[in-house]
Amino acid sequence: MPMKGRFPIRRTLEYLQKGDIVFKNRVKIMTVNYNTNGELSDGAREFVFFNIPQIQYKNPWVQIMMFKNMTPSPFLKFYLDDGEQVLVDVEGKDHKQISRHVRKILGKSEEVLQAEAEARKEASNPANFGPKKYCLRECICEVDGQVPCPRTKPLPKEMTGKYRAQMAAEQD
Amino acid sequence: MFQVTCGRSVQAARLLSPRCAVLVEAVRGRKSRTDPVAKSKVGRIKVPPPVDPEEMVALNERYSEYQLIMRALRLEFKEEVLRRKYEEEIGSLAAEKAVQEEEEHRILMAWNNQENQRLLQIRVLRIQKEQEEAERKQLEAAVQREQEQQEHIKEKEREILQLQEDAKNFITLENLDQRIEEALDNPKNYNFAIDKQGRVVKQTVQQ
Repeated sequence: MPMKGRFPIRRTLEYLQKGDIVFKNRVKIMTVNYNTNGELSDGAREFVFFNIPQIQYKNPWVQIMMFKNMTPSPFLKFYLDDGEQVLVDVEGKDHKQISRHVRKILGKSEEVLQAEAEARKEASNPANFGPKKYCLRECICEVDGQVPCPRTKPLPKEMTGKYRAQMAAEQD
Repeated sequence: MFQVTCGRSVQAARLLSPRCAVLVEAVRGRKSRTDPVAKSKVGRIKVPPPVDPEEMVALNERYSEYQLIMRALRLEFKEEVLRRKYEEEIGSLAAEKAVQEEEEHRILMAWNNQENQRLLQIRVLRIQKEQEEAERKQLEAAVQREQEQQEHIKEKEREILQLQEDAKNFITLENLDQRIEEALDNPKNYNFAIDKQGRVVKQTVQQ
């Protein structure tokens, strides 16, 4: 049985990678207080159901805790590095609104994310050939359209060094 | 034979370390020391290419100058890259960035507080309205209850009056004889049929 749960799409890699909230390095803990019934907590419930998996996937080192039915109105609380606590009231909001709000106040902006991606790209040069752990390819024979590896298919005689040396010797 | 090391700290080392400049001797790459030489290479004597001394001297001079310049250029560029990296991570740039980030953080927190205040206002209004509703409902319920009580009392009074009216027609010990006489004098006939409208249709004959 491949599908588990009510919305199994939440478990797909594609869905998780689509999440766009990457927290700044300062955010350490995220706490969500919401209620299991009541119209005002609707947005918070949907946020927890749909967006929290994406957030946790993108921020594996942030601790996320959920508390149910502890307060009459729902809210989010973020605990930063220097002890600062950020309170976000989400009563009556839509889950998309909440997501946008959180991204605006504590998420890394587009430019920062792009700069980080660039820096990561700089570190790995695709033109380098070497062990698979550090480089894309080990030999040019792995690339489509290039001469295949002689261990799988022997080279034509004209390309072997032995034959070429022979021809050179015959000429002289 | 070929080693690639990774890591940001080693990137700097990679920038500064020299490429292979030394010519390596014939290394028994594929074969071990006990394997015999190949048949085609049995009598081979390797002869290096001939060297022209004047050409050699001139070339060496030129090469030394060229290599000096190239090495100097390379080191210059490496130094620039290292300095830029240092500046970015520790030097003035980092301090400026920190200040900027603090500023942005402050602005965002202020905006967040504004949002919270706005929601607070809405929530206060809502709670007020709910309280008023509850009070109104309570008053209405009280009024309703009062009305119902009044109705109840009226109903009871009506019943009492009805009973009083009926009491006039009761048969008591005094009336007993009189009523018996009346009943015997006026026989009532209950044998009749009625249609759907309630009008009497048939009746047996009184005997």
